[in-house]
Amino acid sequence: MLRRDQVIDVLKREMSDSVLEISELRSATIVSVDPRSLPRVSIALVALGARLRMMVASDERPWRACFSLYYIYAFDREGTNIIIHAPLDPDRPTAPSIVDLVRAVDWYELEARDLLGIEFEGRPPAPRFILPDDWPEGVYPLRKDVSVEQLRALYKPSPLEEARLLGAEEIVRIPIGPYHPALHEPEYFELYVRGEKVVGARYVGFMVHRGIEKLGESMKYDQVPFIAERICGICGFVHSTSYCQAVEDALGIEVPERAEFIRSLILEIERVHSHLLWFGVALHLLGYDTGFMHVWRIRERVMWLAELLTGSRKTYGLNVVGGVRRDIDRDRLDKARQVVKELRKEFAELVKITIDVPQVRARLRGTGYLSPGEAQVFAVVGPTARGSGIDIDVRKDFPYAGYKRIRPRVAVYSEGDNLARTLVRVDEVFESLDLIERFIDEMPGGAIRAEKIEYEPYRIGIGSVEAPRGEVIHMVITGSRTPYRWRVRAPTYQNLIAVPTMLRGVDLADAPLTIASIDPCFSCTDRAIVINVATGASRSVSLREIVRRRR
Amino acid sequence: MSFIKILGVALSRGRATIRYPLEPPLITPYFRGRIEIDPSKCVGCGACARICPPKAIEIVEQGDKLAIRYFVGRCIFCAMCFDVCPQSAIEVTKDFELASLTLEDLYDEVVHSRRRCSVCGEPYLTTKLVDRVLQSIAPELRERLEMCPRCRRESVMKVIARARIRYAEPVEGG
Repeated sequence: MLRRDQVIDVLKREMSDSVLEISELRSATIVSVDPRSLPRVSIALVALGARLRMMVASDERPWRACFSLYYIYAFDREGTNIIIHAPLDPDRPTAPSIVDLVRAVDWYELEARDLLGIEFEGRPPAPRFILPDDWPEGVYPLRKDVSVEQLRALYKPSPLEEARLLGAEEIVRIPIGPYHPALHEPEYFELYVRGEKVVGARYVGFMVHRGIEKLGESMKYDQVPFIAERICGICGFVHSTSYCQAVEDALGIEVPERAEFIRSLILEIERVHSHLLWFGVALHLLGYDTGFMHVWRIRERVMWLAELLTGSRKTYGLNVVGGVRRDIDRDRLDKARQVVKELRKEFAELVKITIDVPQVRARLRGTGYLSPGEAQVFAVVGPTARGSGIDIDVRKDFPYAGYKRIRPRVAVYSEGDNLARTLVRVDEVFESLDLIERFIDEMPGGAIRAEKIEYEPYRIGIGSVEAPRGEVIHMVITGSRTPYRWRVRAPTYQNLIAVPTMLRGVDLADAPLTIASIDPCFSCTDRAIVINVATGASRSVSLREIVRRRR
Repeated sequence: MSFIKILGVALSRGRATIRYPLEPPLITPYFRGRIEIDPSKCVGCGACARICPPKAIEIVEQGDKLAIRYFVGRCIFCAMCFDVCPQSAIEVTKDFELASLTLEDLYDEVVHSRRRCSVCGEPYLTTKLVDRVLQSIAPELRERLEMCPRCRRESVMKVIARARIRYAEPVEGG
């Protein structure tokens, strides 16, 4: 027996009082029932495996003096339809809701309520479903007593006023983090947005503070550079250099000049790959992924060069207190010169193409503004300072390593926007390439490491380096076998504080680039070990820890 | 339309990626990878373990055995061990494809037998290290090297104490 026939049977036998009429259409059997029996009928159908295909509500007052609901049920295996038809009162159309029995009917009931004014009893009150919120009360567009012309005259959409009414212009909080989608680091920004404009921002960090300074205080002097190098996943060499310089400063150790030149050479190579990384990511954040890919393509040559000179793409393992561990022979220095020559040409070409894209320029110019005054107040460092007209650079102001002999030209732009910070970095790449050549050409011979080092306790020393992101500064108080106190300050520590100011007034779409415009290193600020972008080596942070700290 | 120019760059440079692992990776001859300890050269002195910044090399003492245990999972490939090894027993390889399904594969061990103290019989340094040092020191010092550090200290202290008694008594008495 077909299930459709079973349904008809049940209806005829057990619900004869509810069934008003049964008639056969070409493709369905239509059963008219008393609306009050809709729940009972629905249960019977669902119990037999019927599927609700659609519900249609219709104003049939001009035709047969009622509103009608048509529930089209299917028995898919049999390919048959049963339509349950319920005629409703013409003056006050009301039907019991069956949403608790047949979940699929939910939207149909809401639509019938909005468009035909049919009331479904037993539903909790719900906001308007189809009609806009400012649609006049008591007008049901699908009823036959209103014409299209009348409706047109009655209602004009006014989205702006409506948005205001709904409070869309109130301040909305947008979280970015706790994991940065592009920089792959733990950070948390809360942006306060009115419409499209950012009106305020808050930064929550230190989610990966792991006590690296404490750890360093339990390590031998010559072991610390290796952990210092891992503070940053991009510019680690600046940290090992700063640490070594701090200890050398404390103990009055004279570092051989060749070692100082090697340090500066590697620092400039690091700056080139770091700035290329940033430049690529910036283009990526602007949605210009082709540019991103090509910048990273040429960056790969720098990574290769770093490995050729030091034995590793990123964690060079070169610095020790008093100098460097390994010398670099002529042959490799000549190769480096060759790479620099190619890079200068390729980078010049890419800069011209990418920065000249009008969309890129438009997104960079005037966004993320930091005035020179504010830059000074926040004491920002590096390209962030130099993009706001502040002419500071550790290499020039506190010459160290090879910069005592070879002074860099410092790029300064005063516009204070994302474009200015970009151009500072672009100029610095070219300057670094020049410096690499000069360090190779003028590299003196001789020893690479101070001979005898006596560790005297309780001497204080400072070491600072102009990292790609700005000034890195380490302070060391010596102990007899291990550092007594070691303090690390990464440039982002000093720059992040200015980001909420830069974000004020930018369009939400420009917020990601503005945050990235200081080239932030969140984990370095937290002083933890971070994902190494260059080699893909990573460490994990427990989710529980993040959740706990976010509370 | 200036951004179209990047297509020219793309066309002239061609494909940048290589078919790794079907093609060899682009590493230089100076690349530092996993280390290998030559068991025939290693004497088990432990200099590598003491300098290792991430403590990837450990000295594990178990009864008559002493193992130099290298865990590549902690290694930072700095080659400090290579620098300090007095026996040149450590080789820095270019191997970086170190992933494994079993943790044991990440460990490498050189196991040494330990010498027993000639006085108390407790095991102390490796036989190889003691033998090597014995060859290079004056004959009169050899006896003490065959003692464990504690017994050696005691033996030295006894000599000093005897000497003090001999020379100090008249002073105290006076």
